[in-house]
Amino acid sequence: MTKKSLSFVWLSPPALVLYLVVVLTVLAPWVAPSDPNSQVLAQRLQGPSWGHLLGTDALGRDTLSRVLHGGRFSLSVALLTTLFSLSLGTVLGLLSALRGGWLDEFFLRANDLLLALPEIVVALLVIAILGPGFTSMVLAVGVVSWTPTARLVRSLAVQVLSTGYVEASRHVGGSRWFILRHHVLPFVAGPVLAQTALRFGLLLVLLGSLSYLGIGVQPPQSDWGSMLAEAQPHAIRSPWGLIVPGAAIFIVSFCVTLLGNRLTQMFNGHDVLEPAGQGEARG
Amino acid sequence: MPVLTILLRRLIGLGAAVLLSSFAVFLVPFVAPGDPVRNLLRARMDAGVADEQTVQAYAEQFGLYDPLWVQFGRWLARFFSGDMGISYVSGTPVVETVLPAVGVTLLIAGISILVAMAVSIVLGVVAATRAGRWPDKLITSITHALIAIPEYAIAPLLVLLFAVKLAWLPSAGFHSPASLVIPVFVLCLRPISFFTVAVRSGILQSLGSEHVLAARARGLGRTGALLHHVIPHGLLPLWTMTGVWFAGLLGGSVIIEVIFAIPGMGRLVFDAIVNADIPVAQGGVVLVVICAVLVTSAVDLVQQFSDPNVRVGARHD
Repeated sequence: MTKKSLSFVWLSPPALVLYLVVVLTVLAPWVAPSDPNSQVLAQRLQGPSWGHLLGTDALGRDTLSRVLHGGRFSLSVALLTTLFSLSLGTVLGLLSALRGGWLDEFFLRANDLLLALPEIVVALLVIAILGPGFTSMVLAVGVVSWTPTARLVRSLAVQVLSTGYVEASRHVGGSRWFILRHHVLPFVAGPVLAQTALRFGLLLVLLGSLSYLGIGVQPPQSDWGSMLAEAQPHAIRSPWGLIVPGAAIFIVSFCVTLLGNRLTQMFNGHDVLEPAGQGEARG
Repeated sequence: MPVLTILLRRLIGLGAAVLLSSFAVFLVPFVAPGDPVRNLLRARMDAGVADEQTVQAYAEQFGLYDPLWVQFGRWLARFFSGDMGISYVSGTPVVETVLPAVGVTLLIAGISILVAMAVSIVLGVVAATRAGRWPDKLITSITHALIAIPEYAIAPLLVLLFAVKLAWLPSAGFHSPASLVIPVFVLCLRPISFFTVAVRSGILQSLGSEHVLAARARGLGRTGALLHHVIPHGLLPLWTMTGVWFAGLLGGSVIIEVIFAIPGMGRLVFDAIVNADIPVAQGGVVLVVICAVLVTSAVDLVQQFSDPNVRVGARHD
């Protein structure tokens, strides 16, 4: 990474917002104004006030405290899912590119198949089998969301393997492992990092939808998706219960996408939403 | 590669996809909690819990002691002859519930894709022809914001505004064209952002190509070149994406169908999974997959035959 990237990416406005969100959610037990589960039924469904900066929910719980605590679950499950699908996608994409032959052909077909399957349906089936909860969410969404990473890794690796310097490296005795570490990985890392940022944002929204449907996080735990589901029946009296967690998901996902876009611009000058190769049509 | 080979390859891939997903769905009752025979008995007779002997007799009758692949073959044969089993919950044949739902979902997904294409072609062309200036920057920011919107937060808020406060549109259901406005709007958001980016980059590439320069050199005006050369070429990436996105929307509309009480596939499969109504879940998932595979293959084929590069077998890997 160059010096320019430091201020262009890691000190950019979206990055700063994300640092703030992460610090606030990690420190939620200490910075939240009150206990997220303490109910004051006399003060239910209030709008923002000095006592409750973001209002209260149907049980009189402080919305700000709940959104900070809920963020711990939402962000950690999204992070773990992203890492899971990133490692799965990287390994499979590299294998496919390096080994070639029937493995590559099999990989391309499997990819076509998974691309045709709507991911939320597959996730629903996995959760039907495993039962709801943190681990099921990570596994269910992880197994359906590795394909974009794998396709990107594969197409970049194929590209770098056909260059003259890799050919030269092979001729002077560079082993497969050496080429992988010194030529392929450095070439692949940047664009994949950028795409991973975008994936994190998309997965945060997708995982939230599972909790919203009641098959993600289970009570007494809550996250941003389940807060939205709880707030919906009372939205006519107080829309704040919808606005606050909805905005939380939006802000994090938007900032991560902007960050991913800055990374992509730095690495290849494209937009992060652009299809990266043949078949990379869906984000 | 000859056209026939491409067609044959596609067909084989299509069959494999349907077969594999059917098998996965067929396996669900074997790994899901709950005893399928007891579930079945509960649905067929109202007598609460069945005794051990009845359960065993039924298991024998349905061939549940046969090897797995025999059972799968039988299930598959029955499934494609139209007998998808009987719902554990309602006790009615699955076909009768599933088929109408397919139509509803195809309609909503189709409208959403068409709207998204129309909007993104306009946005993408405007952004590309003014690249780097403020309209481009504005449109790019919008596309990045759209994918970050959680549909399960924006949908209730839109209902609150347009159905409850302003009373312009119905809040839920599937009765009139008006009841589809908010669902289609929300479903469009994410495709619009991905499509717009693709159109923008396609048009930009097309703008810089030599045949456009040649057309301009022959004396064709800016608008003429744009309409006859730049746009037709620049939209090629968009056609590729529509098939995949259309397929994705078939199952991806679960949230929207649940929120707006639309009787489509998404809600059907979701309800079935939540209620452990395995026959309905199986029928629904396999039909979604069949539709998705058919749609992607159809779009793929159209593209194969319209793109000379693909037709002669050049690979873009």
